[in-house]
Amino acid sequence: MSPLTIESSRFGTMEIDPAAVVEFPTGLIGLGGRRWAVVSTDPQGAFHWLHSLEDAALALPVANPWHFFSDYEVQLSDTDSVRVGADEPEDVDVWVTVRTGSEPTDFSANLRAPIIICRGHGHQVINEAPTAPVRAPLFPASEAAAA
Amino acid sequence: MLIITRRQGEKIMLGDEIVVHVMEIVGNSVRVGIEAPRSVPVYREEIWNAVREENRAAADSTPDSLPPSA
Repeated sequence: MSPLTIESSRFGTMEIDPAAVVEFPTGLIGLGGRRWAVVSTDPQGAFHWLHSLEDAALALPVANPWHFFSDYEVQLSDTDSVRVGADEPEDVDVWVTVRTGSEPTDFSANLRAPIIICRGHGHQVINEAPTAPVRAPLFPASEAAAA
Repeated sequence: MLIITRRQGEKIMLGDEIVVHVMEIVGNSVRVGIEAPRSVPVYREEIWNAVREENRAAADSTPDSLPPSA
């Protein structure tokens, strides 16, 4: 298969490996969009982008939650677990969306609604774990002061 | 908005496949059961709203708002 080309409003012309295309049957919560890909402008970096393949201007920064929250846990309802295909956890990638800001302390990740990607299909799900805030600070003030 | 009065134990059909059961009414709370195809996600509205707001905020991000990698 030949690479897909998108004209990203943020990154200009990008080639997307067709194997990296993720179908979201119900889109992102409140945003929709069926076809996305996780793209990395800096593969070593902590942040990647979930980029729409349908809307050149639509992309969300995402992060591997365990990079920032080593004890992060995702608990899905039985229905969601089957729906997303998480019954075979070794095939699953988990991402969390990132809210950016002008100060490091404004950055947060949505631990409540992770994005689960499994065998080319993606779902944004509600994490039932008791400590999974919608806005978890990525760089808490105490750490920022220590850095 | 369609407004329907239902008693405890009665149901509402949304199309042919989604059933909303009015299970129990206690004080000012209503217990609702929802039967829907597995492909239809069901959310509490306040959570759906909060997640939508975070998704929109994330989608407003620009590449230069992210810190350079260490």
